[in-house]
Amino acid sequence: MSWQLGEGAAILIVVLVGFLPTEVWRTLAVLAGRRVEAGSEVFLWVKAVAAALLAAVVARLLFDPAAPLQVVPLAVRLAAVAGGVLAFMLTRRSVFVGVLVGEALLVGAILAFGG
Amino acid sequence: MSSLISSPEPPSSAPHPGPRHRSAPGWFLNGMRHGISVPALVLFASYTGFGALLQGVNFPLGAGLLSTLLIWALPAQVILVGGLVAGTALPALALAIGLSSMRLLPMVVSVAPYMRGPRRNVFAELLCSHYVAMTLWLEGLRLLPHLPGEARVPFTLGLGNMLLSVSVTGTAVGYLIAGSLPGPIAAAFLFLTPLSFSVLMVRNAVGFTDWLALAAGFLIMPFALGLDGGLDLLIAGVGGGSLAYVAGRLRRGRA
Repeated sequence: MSWQLGEGAAILIVVLVGFLPTEVWRTLAVLAGRRVEAGSEVFLWVKAVAAALLAAVVARLLFDPAAPLQVVPLAVRLAAVAGGVLAFMLTRRSVFVGVLVGEALLVGAILAFGG
Repeated sequence: MSSLISSPEPPSSAPHPGPRHRSAPGWFLNGMRHGISVPALVLFASYTGFGALLQGVNFPLGAGLLSTLLIWALPAQVILVGGLVAGTALPALALAIGLSSMRLLPMVVSVAPYMRGPRRNVFAELLCSHYVAMTLWLEGLRLLPHLPGEARVPFTLGLGNMLLSVSVTGTAVGYLIAGSLPGPIAAAFLFLTPLSFSVLMVRNAVGFTDWLALAAGFLIMPFALGLDGGLDLLIAGVGGGSLAYVAGRLRRGRA
């Protein structure tokens, strides 16, 4: 992968773009928490946006992954995730089983179809 | 948001406050001991996956470890790294992370009353609040109400620092291992983050709006992938989430 970031720049980005936008909510909760309503409309919107953001990033990691996963066909990646989620739903909602089945499907497909 | 670790604990691991009169360091150690648990194991595994992701995209290790220490919210960290790789503009990325982390506010609000000593100390409260993420929130709500007031701050700091240490170690282990693995295993390792997040998202989805938000974010993203400057994340995340919220609200209105 050609993309490369220096350590100093990466640290600066972690602090400014990652840490501050996250920590502000923890700080705000302590300083002004009593005045915030947890069930308000704003929170319902934020919850939906947070879920969609995470789903979008997961989609990007699946559709456009880093090098070691690029050799695995997109259909296999998607099928393995779908199989893992299905296993999770069929096994009394065990996250462990879901992840295990998804991984097994991926590795099985790599070994079966050559890698 | 529903729980990450929802299985009821067996009686053996129910909180044993032990002697009522521990010193502050005693409570700190007691908190650390409670940080060695099944949820900690899940954290460790999740963060090895994140470490593998960092290694896979050539993100510097030091900054990656710092992200676990400072951000201490895996979704925000995954969005940060995923966004940087895709060339998302930094202001758009900060906005996306801010929106994703806003869920921490109600979590801190709900657990903060149990993280206070007998006397009000804003500095201690702010320090304790930094450790609040999914795992400490759940464990805190489970364990802290049983403890006496003077125990809560040192116990929280012991528990939080143990969970954080486990996660920083996991990040480093994942990063260092991922580089030396043969192809299929490296792929499986890198697959851990999107796979486990998919399962956890399905687990946390409880209503119509949640499911629609997940579907919208996931399905819009592939079509937005080519767009410049982080528009993809904002369109799929903010756009898809807002769409789900509006649809959910219309549905509530009609019901």
